[in-house]
Amino acid sequence: MSRRLRVGLISCAHVHALGLANTLQALEHVEFTGIHDEEPARGNAAATEHGARWHETLDGLLAASEAVVIASTNVDHRRYTEAAATMGVHVLSEKPLATTLADGRAMIDACRRAGVQLGVAFPVRSSPAVVALKEAIAGGTLGRMRAVRATNPGQYPGRWFGDKHLAGGGAVMDHTVHAADAIRWLAGDEFARVHAELGSFIYGLAVEDCGVLTCDLVGGAFASIDCSWSRPRTFPTWGGVTLHVVGEKATVDVDVFRQTLTHYDDTAGYTRLLGWGDDLTARMVGDFVDAILAGRDVPISGDDGLRALEVAIAAYRSAETKRPVAIADIRA
Amino acid sequence: MRVGVLGAGFAGAMHAHSALGLDDVQVVAVAALPLDHAAALAKECGARVATAEEICAAPDVDLVVVATPTHLHAEYAIAAAKSGKHVFCEKPIARTREQAEAMVRACDAAGVTLAVGHVVRYFPEYQRAKQLLDDGTLGRPAIATLVRGNFSVGSAREWYLDPAKSGGVVLDLMLHDLDTVRWWFGEPSRVYARRFTGSAGLEYALATIRYDDRPIVHIEASWAEHSGFRTGFELRGDRGMLVHDSRAASPLTVQSPAGPSGPAMMATPTLSESPYRRQLRDLFARIRRGERPRVDGHEGLRSLALGLAVIESADSGAVIEWKAPA
Repeated sequence: MSRRLRVGLISCAHVHALGLANTLQALEHVEFTGIHDEEPARGNAAATEHGARWHETLDGLLAASEAVVIASTNVDHRRYTEAAATMGVHVLSEKPLATTLADGRAMIDACRRAGVQLGVAFPVRSSPAVVALKEAIAGGTLGRMRAVRATNPGQYPGRWFGDKHLAGGGAVMDHTVHAADAIRWLAGDEFARVHAELGSFIYGLAVEDCGVLTCDLVGGAFASIDCSWSRPRTFPTWGGVTLHVVGEKATVDVDVFRQTLTHYDDTAGYTRLLGWGDDLTARMVGDFVDAILAGRDVPISGDDGLRALEVAIAAYRSAETKRPVAIADIRA
Repeated sequence: MRVGVLGAGFAGAMHAHSALGLDDVQVVAVAALPLDHAAALAKECGARVATAEEICAAPDVDLVVVATPTHLHAEYAIAAAKSGKHVFCEKPIARTREQAEAMVRACDAAGVTLAVGHVVRYFPEYQRAKQLLDDGTLGRPAIATLVRGNFSVGSAREWYLDPAKSGGVVLDLMLHDLDTVRWWFGEPSRVYARRFTGSAGLEYALATIRYDDRPIVHIEASWAEHSGFRTGFELRGDRGMLVHDSRAASPLTVQSPAGPSGPAMMATPTLSESPYRRQLRDLFARIRRGERPRVDGHEGLRSLALGLAVIESADSGAVIEWKAPA
C-alpha cells in the first residue's frame, strides 16, 4: 500500500491540534494538505511552524483533501463535518462527537448521505494495554466481566473548555467519553442507565469541574467514571486514564499512561512525568487513514461517538434531576 | 484493666495481641465457637478458655472485646453491659440498625462504655489527611476517592459469605471508608451505589456519597483484590490534593526463592505501635479518665446506618436521601 491519503487539519482551537499536526506530518501514509482555521492568525502560525500550507478558505482546504481531522471547539464539529461531507471529504472528529445529540446525529446523517466516513478520536482504544485487555476479555481470561471503575482525571485545560456554549459543558463533556467508549468496546455492550454527581468546586467555573458517573450496562455489569479536572497545577503530568476491571476469574488494572520517566527539573523548578509509551494519537490517526485507503470501515465510527456522547448527556440530566437516567429516555 | 475476648479469629487475635502489650492490661479469658478454637490464643495470652456467656458474667472481667461474627455482636454486648462490663465491639457495631440501637440503650442504661473498633481513625495516614483538611491546607474539599480491597475472605471464614451474618463487602470493608468520610467531612446528604456478588466469595461495590454542597465522594470496596489487602485515597481540595496508596508505602519488603512474600521469614513492622494497639491504648486511657471513647455506640450506629443505606441503594437502584440517626 504505497498510496498516501491527502489529509488536512481544520482549526487549531483544540489543545490536541498541534499534536495532530505533528502526526499528520509524520505519518507515512499521509500527505498533509495543510491547515484552515477560523482564527487566521492562529492557523497561519501553526502552518508556518509545521511547514504546512495555510488555507485562507475552508473550501480551499477541502478541495485539496480526501479527509480532514477536525480539532475545533466542540460546538463547531457539526458545521465543519457537514461542509466536509458536502465536498465528499472523510472526517475524523475530535471528541466529543458534538455538544448535543441532535448535532451528533446530523453529522452521522450528513456523512452517510455523502458516502464519506466519519471517525471519532478515541485514542484509548489504541493503547496496547487496552488492546491486550480486550483480547483477554474476548478469550475468556477474565470470565464474565462484572464491574469497571474508570478514571480520566486531568488538569483544567483552560481556553474554551470551561465555556458551556463552545464545549457543551465542562469536565463531563471533556473526559467522560474516553472512558465510556473504552468500557463499551471492552464489554461489547451498551449503556442502559447513568447516574451522576457533579459540582463546580475548584476553579470557579460556570461548568462542572468535578464529576462521578455510575452506569449500568444492558448486560448487567456496572461501571463508574471519574471525569474530574481534579489534577492540581503542580501535578507532574496532565492527568491519566485508568481502568479497574473486575471479572469472575480475574481482576485487571490498566493505567494507560503509566510508562513515564520522572524528571526532577531544577531549571524549570518542578517535577514532570515524561511519557515514553506508544504515541496513541499516531496509532489512532494511522488506523483511520489505513482503513480509508483500504476501503474498510474506520475502526471508531460516528455511531461510537454518539453512544459515548449519550452517556455525557445523560449525566447532565441525572445531575439536574438527582436521579438515575435511562439512555432510552434521553434518545426520545 | 482485665479483658475478656469473645472470638479468636482475625479480629479477636488482633485485639488480644494489641491489648497484651499495654501496661496494666491483662487478657484473662478467651472464648470461641467451637470452644477449642480459643485454646491457642488463650495460651498466648496466658488466659483461660471460657464460653462467651461465662466471660460476659465473669467477676474478674472489666471489659469485653466483642470480636464474634457480626450478627452475634448485639447479643453478647448486651449481656456484658448487663453485668456492668465495658464493651469494645469490632466494627460494624452490629448487623442491623435495631441490634445497634439495643446495644446503645443497654450500655447507656448500665452506665458502661460502648466503643466501636473503627480503627482507621487511628491510622496515621488518615489522621494526617484529617489534620490537613481541618487546618485548611487542602482548602475546601472538592472530590475524594477511597479504595479498599482484599482477596475473598470468605474462603477462610464462611460466615462472611452469608449476607445475613456479615452484611458482605459493604458492611465488612466499605464501612471503614464510610466511617472515614463521616469523620473527615461530617454527614452526607445522599447515597447511590452498585454491587455484585460473584462465585467463590467474590464481591465488589461502588458507592457515590454526596454532601449538601461539597465534596463528592466515591468509594470502592472489593473482595476481588486477589493480590491481597490494599487501601488508597485521593483527596482533592480547592488548594491541593493528597494521594495515599498502601502498595507504595511499605518501608520493608522481603523476597526469597520461596516466592514474593515467601514464608514469614522476618517480622515486617511498619509502625512502632500498630493502629490497633493505639486504638486500645486510647480507649483504656479514656475509660480511666471517665471520658467518652473516640467512636462510641452512637457514632458506630451512624456509620452502620450509612452502610445500610449503601446496600439499600445498590439493591433498589434508587438514590437514598441520608438522614443520620441521632
